[in-house]
Amino acid sequence: MVAEHVERAEDPKAALAAIRVVGADTFAPYLLADAVFHPQDAAAVTQSFALFPPPVSTPDPPPAGAAEPWLVAWRDWAMAALLARLAEAEPDGVRAPRPTGAPVLTDPDHSQVSDAPAGQGSDSHAAHGDGLPTPDSGAPDDSGPRDTDWQRWSVRMGQLSPLALPGLDGPVHSAARAAPLALARGATRAVLRRDFPTAARITRWLALLGAEGVALPLDPVPLLAHLRLHGGGPRLALDVAIARRLLGLETV
Amino acid sequence: MTASVTRTAHQVSARALTWLHTHRERGALPADTTADLGDPDSVYKPLGESALAASLVLREAAAGGTELRLARELMDFCWRQFGDGDMLYERLLRYSMMTDPLETYAPFARCGIRHEPLDRLLAHTSGLRSVRGAEVLPNRRLAVANAARVAGLDQGAHAYDWSALARATWLGAVPEPWLIDWMTGYCLTHTVFHLTDWGADPTGLPADLAAYVTTWLPVWIDIWAEIEQWDLVAELMIVGCCLPEPYCAPADWERLARAQHPDGLVPRDGDPVADDPGRRFEDHQHTAVVAAIAGTLAVSRTLGGAAGQR
Repeated sequence: MVAEHVERAEDPKAALAAIRVVGADTFAPYLLADAVFHPQDAAAVTQSFALFPPPVSTPDPPPAGAAEPWLVAWRDWAMAALLARLAEAEPDGVRAPRPTGAPVLTDPDHSQVSDAPAGQGSDSHAAHGDGLPTPDSGAPDDSGPRDTDWQRWSVRMGQLSPLALPGLDGPVHSAARAAPLALARGATRAVLRRDFPTAARITRWLALLGAEGVALPLDPVPLLAHLRLHGGGPRLALDVAIARRLLGLETV
Repeated sequence: MTASVTRTAHQVSARALTWLHTHRERGALPADTTADLGDPDSVYKPLGESALAASLVLREAAAGGTELRLARELMDFCWRQFGDGDMLYERLLRYSMMTDPLETYAPFARCGIRHEPLDRLLAHTSGLRSVRGAEVLPNRRLAVANAARVAGLDQGAHAYDWSALARATWLGAVPEPWLIDWMTGYCLTHTVFHLTDWGADPTGLPADLAAYVTTWLPVWIDIWAEIEQWDLVAELMIVGCCLPEPYCAPADWERLARAQHPDGLVPRDGDPVADDPGRRFEDHQHTAVVAAIAGTLAVSRTLGGAAGQR
């Protein structure tokens, strides 16, 4: 499928660039549907990395480093890791190094919310990701919005939505598993702000958690139906399609 | 964190109450007003709202001596406007199906200000199937039930089925939290106000609905604060004070305090505020009421008051 896309393209370089833009989601048809990954597909993806190589070193996670290159590094890693997995025995290893850290959630409100939200029978506690810095307990910063409240945290998780695929795991996934409530709030907030692409990205994480059996504060099924009908654009369509596949709402 | 909420909430509430008290004459009924009330929403309803705010300040008794005096004076002013209750009595006598005499009376009854003929009339009217079966929105039906409860009419054969009343509301449906709109936001806030009698009894909110509101309230406050819908934001902050585990975020209180004008006016939204004093009162009286109540309850809850005295 991927190799075919490159071969048929009038401008093969643009076709390879498109693969890098779609990123790890290029592999979704192989992971979530019945597409067969051929050696030619691996070669096409490998070529896209060769032509548009990721940085050799990984940037520091925010707040020490800038957010954008770090997010890109995570998405590069996701693509490279899935290539290595699907191509089996990649001789020169993964083509993008794994960054460190995950979006940090320090919202003091989240540890306080412990009641099971109604209607879902869930027991979702927002906690802090594995090995992540923990906030100073009892001494929250009152000085207004922080980079680590659930609003900003969920948006950042959405920016890492290509990592929400089966076969990938790491600190970002641990952060998601530790905070389904923050994800559900973030998705809800994004829908209410009519930011449907962000809502779809965040909901993808909820779908992944749902597929893993994590109890969710929010039923993602009607939300995805809503997003599919109200949102637009290819990226949203892809995020919604992947989320629906993760939840088993569509078969092949 | 708690101390900063208590301080800021007290400040917002005290200023809003002072503003309501200072400008109370602007909310007086026109001299030729009769119980017929051509336009009950213009002055009559706001007077009842000011009385509600004052009654909650007095119920919680968490404010300073100055605020308690202002609240008592505001109560007295509103009661006089209603002819010491005669007007409410006459209105109910003339319009048996109307619920506003009872709803307007409730804050006074809460503070022990009673009107005996009105009490007798209410005991009769509010028990009639015709009145109880009137077709009203579920959250409005709760408003009537809570007023009846406060007035001592929720008992015996006329006791309300609170669980059924709660289930009939939008909130009772445990709806998708991402589809709420502005008007529905007010339905939600009022459902919580009346089920808990304005925070006096947080357990009045069924446990599953309390958990639902606890989960989604921060999102709703966030999105309506972003578009500066201060009136609804402050109502949602009251909702936070009505929960079994109160939700009073310092950032929310600081934001509301920043929106409040130095004279105590709390703007209803982000639109420019008129200079004309009459217009200012008319446009923003409701938000001052809401802010005074929100601050009063936040002070009370953060100081450990689980509920007011019933």
